[in-house]
Amino acid sequence: MLPILSLIVLIPILFSAVTFLTKTREQARISALVGTLITLVLTLYMYFSFDSTTAAMQFEEMANWIPSLGISYHLGVDGVSMPLILLNAIVIPLLIIYTWDDVRSAPNRFYGLILAMQGAVIGVFVALDFFIFYIFWELTLVPLFFMVNIWGGSNKKHAAIKFFIYTHVASLVMLLGIFGLYFNAWSITGSPNMDMAHLISQFQFFESGGLRDAIFLALLFGFIVKLPVVPFHSWLPDAYSEAPTAGSVLFILLKIGGYGLFRVMLPMLPFTATPSLMITIMGALGAVSILYGAFLALAQKDLKRMIAYSSISHMGYVTLGCAGLVSLSVSGAMFQQFSHGLIMSIMFMSCGVIQTATGTRIINELGGLAQKMPKLTVIMVLGFMASLGLPGLTGFIAEFLVLTFSFINVPTYVIIALLAIVITAAYHLWALQRAMFGTFNEKLGEIVDISSYQTLSMGIIALLVLYFGLNPSPVLDMMITNSEKIVSLMAVMGV
Amino acid sequence: MDLMLLAPEITLLVTGLAIVLMGLFLSGQSKKILGYIATLGCLVALLFTLNSFGTTAVMFSNSLSIDALSQFFKLVFLTVATLVSIAAIKYTDGNGNTDEFYALTLFATIGMMMVASANDLMVLFVAFELASLATYGLAGFEKKNPASTEAAMKYFIIGSLSAALLLLGIGYVYGTTGTTNIEAIAQNMGLLTSSPMGILSLVLLIAGFGFKIALVPFHMWAPDTYQGAPSVVSALLAAGSKKMGFVAAFKVFITGLIALQADWQMAFAILAVITMTYGNIVALSQTSVKRMLAYSSLAQAGYITMALVVMTPMALTGGILYALSHGFMKAGAFIATAAVVYMATSENKDILKADHLDSFKGLGKRMPITALSLTVFVLALSGIPPTAGFMSKFVLFSSTIESGLVWLAVIAILNSALSLYYYARVVRYMYAMPAEGEKVSEPIPYVVALLVAVAGVLAIGIWPEPFVNMAMEAAKVLIPGGM
Repeated sequence: MLPILSLIVLIPILFSAVTFLTKTREQARISALVGTLITLVLTLYMYFSFDSTTAAMQFEEMANWIPSLGISYHLGVDGVSMPLILLNAIVIPLLIIYTWDDVRSAPNRFYGLILAMQGAVIGVFVALDFFIFYIFWELTLVPLFFMVNIWGGSNKKHAAIKFFIYTHVASLVMLLGIFGLYFNAWSITGSPNMDMAHLISQFQFFESGGLRDAIFLALLFGFIVKLPVVPFHSWLPDAYSEAPTAGSVLFILLKIGGYGLFRVMLPMLPFTATPSLMITIMGALGAVSILYGAFLALAQKDLKRMIAYSSISHMGYVTLGCAGLVSLSVSGAMFQQFSHGLIMSIMFMSCGVIQTATGTRIINELGGLAQKMPKLTVIMVLGFMASLGLPGLTGFIAEFLVLTFSFINVPTYVIIALLAIVITAAYHLWALQRAMFGTFNEKLGEIVDISSYQTLSMGIIALLVLYFGLNPSPVLDMMITNSEKIVSLMAVMGV
Repeated sequence: MDLMLLAPEITLLVTGLAIVLMGLFLSGQSKKILGYIATLGCLVALLFTLNSFGTTAVMFSNSLSIDALSQFFKLVFLTVATLVSIAAIKYTDGNGNTDEFYALTLFATIGMMMVASANDLMVLFVAFELASLATYGLAGFEKKNPASTEAAMKYFIIGSLSAALLLLGIGYVYGTTGTTNIEAIAQNMGLLTSSPMGILSLVLLIAGFGFKIALVPFHMWAPDTYQGAPSVVSALLAAGSKKMGFVAAFKVFITGLIALQADWQMAFAILAVITMTYGNIVALSQTSVKRMLAYSSLAQAGYITMALVVMTPMALTGGILYALSHGFMKAGAFIATAAVVYMATSENKDILKADHLDSFKGLGKRMPITALSLTVFVLALSGIPPTAGFMSKFVLFSSTIESGLVWLAVIAILNSALSLYYYARVVRYMYAMPAEGEKVSEPIPYVVALLVAVAGVLAIGIWPEPFVNMAMEAAKVLIPGGM
């Protein structure tokens, strides 16, 4: 049996090193593409041999690493992590194809960082030991920091440092929470153990309720800053909009914050001292993010910033779906993560194409691009429609599940979130109308449509948005299996 | 008594003396060989130490003890000395005083190693002075560079003052307990606690060690000295001789003065917090990389001091592991700076400005290996996994939480996050700023030293088990029966 999980983490990292050493752009992009394609093939193999009827861990790997501290090399996937690994494995090779003809400085570093990022993100998704989880979690910071800092826009330094420090502090708070779990479990069982499942299972035996709540909140803080939710979102618009297109897409694929909610927070939730308070916190943060993000998106003049704020709004559904606490709302939250990755990739890629072609991202300075860029317009409209939640596309499935089923437990927040739907439709259509349709803005000069590489990569993602929108079960089934297991814990505890 | 246990010290001594002798006969270019001899001597001593790791013995009427603790710190000192010797091959190239540089480095290292073994306050003091006198000379090695001379002067005057305070403290301890043997002091602890002399000696000893460790407010010499001294010497000071202060403090306070624990523990807690916060805040505004590293070194000392406050076996393991990690990270960072300074001065940049952040612009293009190594070191210093810095902070900070001192851990963690800002700035200069000048060929000795240090930083980060175990063994010497 192949150690397939180790391979899908190590191959991108190895190819990252190889890519760093290449001399020409040709070598760099080929090496990067080969590395990501091997990862994709392995991931597809794993996906097709994956059993979506069980919530148990599959493809597990286990070895001692630092036995004296109870740290082991423990990897595995289940229905929570599989779709996110799939998302990364599919989109990143397409991202490399998208940038195929993009002329930029130091292509070896550029592609090397993309691959390093892929390895680190998949590492977070497969880690079942908190120590490994944290290592990969922190490692994801480094490639993105460089990505923004080297190839970013005019305000890149500020954005990069802000992103780094903001999320690093959040990670450290999360680390405090991990320490809290680790030592309290140590004093209960008498031996150190960093295994995630073990620590979560010991959580309920901690004596003091205040301590349990504090640990829960520390971990929650680490995850929701990464997600991000309002009011911890301020790093995101800067980082997303200053990053180069590839960097923005990588940020989008960094679904580790929401993943933490499913993997760690929900299983712990019933054992906190005040579960209802925790649910209120998550529900309120989710609803506020949805509404506030949408309002801010509406106010943006810059297309990319608008997309960044819409991302905050969309991520609110993840938190809200978690707070909904029924199997289908949690599945909806999981599906939102998957769908958001695909949709936002299209949106950021479209934005990147427009910026390269016209030299601006200010919505008012564009206009009538559809006449000159028909291919882009088709794909982009599909992405925007999916983003605003048109039925038949992935965004609808996710939002429908979250809103419908969260209503059972947290109706107030759902009503708040429903208000946002109108605004969401408004800013999407408004931006599309002003940028793409109407009369062509002659000041923009000669405009050519997207290249065949870009059509290929964006087209494939667009088809996936359509495919999973019409037929979500290939990923939704495994999500439901796992969320049923997660939610069954709540029922036992009567939450 | 088995003299083989002193083989590492004897090896260094013989090498050092041989270098002095050879220096008399060699001239000019042929002196280059001395660097290789010194490196070889350090490596042999390193092997001897590794080979006998875990052996326990006392010698010379219980004035020296060989145990896991002293051997662990010997490994730290020898590692730093090896890195410095390799890097200095380029630095001393063409300098007429090559022999003195290496002889002093080796003698300083012997002094540090003796401190690690010392079981008696008098031996400890003499070893301290051996190391200090040698490093005073090294700090002023660039006689024509006013900054270097100033560094040596400040270091010498404040060092002598601290030696005097230390000696006075030792005098009070002797006066009260009638012995200078650290274990015997612990047995006579009743005498110390009942006498006001106890507190007085404590204050003097904290001040004396505080100077060596560069704890705020006893740190005034450190930024100027680290900045003014040649970068390879700064590596030796920050990565090596500072650890000498720590091992001495561990021994004297935990083994000898445990009776006064309640008094010194609080003092060290306050000093740790002040030191890490002050170091980090001042480091934020530095434009000289060496000065930034000096202040960051204060902050790092603050973290290690936490081990002394928490004082559980796991915290001491963390502190000891941190000492080794810091040896690699800090020595590496200073050696990388040395390479940059070398490049800048060979391009006729003013020596006083050679370590300015501007010299690091576009270094990723100009000196790719140096830049990449320095990136690894600063990321390690800020505690990003999978590096030695993360691993040691992990053990140290988590043990602080375990023992209930959550406030201290939170302050340390916030400090650690703050430090990321100035560390990341160096990385930004190296990779995100356009290069001024062409790609330069990186001197081989610097590259070798850097790669060794990178290997060390990553090894502790990725496969920490053997290092953690060794550090645990060392911690057991201080607190027997723990873990």
